Amino acid sequence: MAETARGRLNWTGLGVFALVLLVWEAAVRSGLIAFEFFPPPSRILLGIVALTRDGVMLQDLLHTLGSIAAGWSIAMLIGVAIGVLLGFSPTARRFGLASVEVLRPMPGIAFAPVGLLLFGFSLQTELVVTVLPTIWPVMVNTMGGIANVHPRLGDVGRTLRLSNTEIVRHLLLPAALPSIIVGARISLGLALVMAIVAEIVGNPAGLGYGIVREQQAMNPEYMFAYIAVVGILGIALNAGVVALTTALWPATSRVTL
Amino acid sequence: MSARTAWPVLIARSLAQLPSPLGLLPLIAALIAWQLLAPPNSPYFPPPSSWWTGIAQSAASGALWRAGAASLQTIVFGLLLATAAGVTLGILIGVSPRLARAMGPLLEFCRAMPPPAIVPLAILFLGYDERMKLTIVVISAMWPILLNTASAAQRVHPILLDVATAFRLTLLQRIRLIVFPSVMPSVLLGVRIALPLCIVLTLLVEILTSIEGVGALMIAAQRNYQSGQVYGLLVLVGLFGFLINTGFSIVQTIILRRWPPRNIQA
Repeated sequence: MAETARGRLNWTGLGVFALVLLVWEAAVRSGLIAFEFFPPPSRILLGIVALTRDGVMLQDLLHTLGSIAAGWSIAMLIGVAIGVLLGFSPTARRFGLASVEVLRPMPGIAFAPVGLLLFGFSLQTELVVTVLPTIWPVMVNTMGGIANVHPRLGDVGRTLRLSNTEIVRHLLLPAALPSIIVGARISLGLALVMAIVAEIVGNPAGLGYGIVREQQAMNPEYMFAYIAVVGILGIALNAGVVALTTALWPATSRVTL
Repeated sequence: MSARTAWPVLIARSLAQLPSPLGLLPLIAALIAWQLLAPPNSPYFPPPSSWWTGIAQSAASGALWRAGAASLQTIVFGLLLATAAGVTLGILIGVSPRLARAMGPLLEFCRAMPPPAIVPLAILFLGYDERMKLTIVVISAMWPILLNTASAAQRVHPILLDVATAFRLTLLQRIRLIVFPSVMPSVLLGVRIALPLCIVLTLLVEILTSIEGVGALMIAAQRNYQSGQVYGLLVLVGLFGFLINTGFSIVQTIILRRWPPRNIQA
C-alpha cells in the first residue's frame, strides 16, 4: 500500500501516523489511558536511544540479522534445489510431490519443541525453527516458475544440444527468476518472524529475547523499544529486497511489486 | 453462466488435482527406515511406533481432547473474526483512495510487525487468557484477507461502477450489489492464505504462553522429555493442516462455481 505513493512521499499517510503517535502521547500524559505499563512514544524513543548507547540494541540486532541471513540462505539453497528438481523432472514430481505436499502445511512453529528437544536452548534450535518453514515459499515458487516456463525454451536448449544442467542453468532458472524472487521475498519475511519466535522460546539472544527480557524485568519502555525496532526491521528488510532486486534485475521489478 | 456442476463431480475433480499417491513413497520409506534404525528409547529420534504410544497416552488421559478443542475453537473464531475485519477494512480502503492513502503507512507498519513480537504486548494489556490468544490470531491473520480484498475492490470493473451510478445506488447498495460480489473470489483467496496462518498463530501463542491448547501440550511434552509425544503431536498437527487445506480448496471451488471465470476484474 505504500506503493500507492510511488514516486513521492505519502504525506497524508505519514501525517496520520504522526497524529496517532501524538494522540497516544497526549492520552498517556494526561492520564486518559491509565495502564500501569504503557509508556508514551517519547519514552519509547528515549528507550531506543538508551539501549543503542548501551550497545545492547546493536548486539541484539546483529544477532537477529545474522540468524535471519544464515537461515534464509540455507532455506534458499534447499528450496531452489528441490524446486528445480520437482519443476524440471516429471519423474521427481511423480515420486516426490505428494511427500512435499503432506509436509508443507505442517506449521513451522510446531518444529520449535522438536528443535528444543534436539538442541536445547541454542543457535541450532533457532536455525532449525527458522530454516524449515522458510523453505516452502521458495520451493513452491521455484517449482511453479520452472513448470510455467514456455516448453519452447526447452526445445531451444535441445536444438542447441545443451545438457540438462545447461538447460536448467542458462534457460530455466533465468526464466523462472521473477517467480523465485517473489518466493524469496515471502521467505525473508517468514525468516524474520521465525527468528523472533525462536529467540523467544528457544535461544536466549537477539531482539526476540530482548522483548521477553525487558518484559520480565518490568521495563516497559525498553520492551516497546525492542518491539518498535522489530517492526522497523521488518519494513527495512522488505524494502531492501525490493530495492536490491530492482537494481539487479530491473525487468523483474514490476512482478515483485 | 454454464449449467451448474454437481457437488460430487466438483469434489472428485478437486481430489483428482492432488498429486499422485506414488509420491508418498519417499516419506513412507523414510518412516520405515526410522522405525527400523532408531533405538527404541532414543530421547532425540524416537521411532514412529513410540509417537503413536505418546499420542495414545495423551488421548487416554483426556489432555489431547481438551487441548484440541481449545485450539480448534481459537482457530475457528480467529478465522471468522479475521475474515470479518479483513473484508470490512479491505472494502473501505479499496473503495476510497483517500482512505487508502491516509492509512497506508500505519497499516504497513502494523503488517510488518512479526506476530510473536506483539505477544508480550497483548499479555500486558489482556493477561493470559483465551481473549488474548484470539486477539493475536485475528490481528495477525487478517492481513492477507485485507490486502486481497482491498486490491480487488480497487480493480472493480469501471463499467460495473457506471452501472451503479446509472441506477443511482446508494453507497451501501453499491457495496452490497457491486463491490461485494466482485471481490468474493479474492476474499476466498485471502481466507485460504489466512487459514494456515490461523493454525500457526494459535500454536505460536500456545507455545509462547502455555495457555491451554495443542501448542502448550507440545511444549509441555518437550519439557518432560516425552519425545515420542512431541513427534506424534507434530504429525497430528501436520495432518490437520493438510486436511484443512484440501477441504478448503474443495469448499472454494464449490462456492466459486457461481462466479464466472476470473475475467470481470481484469
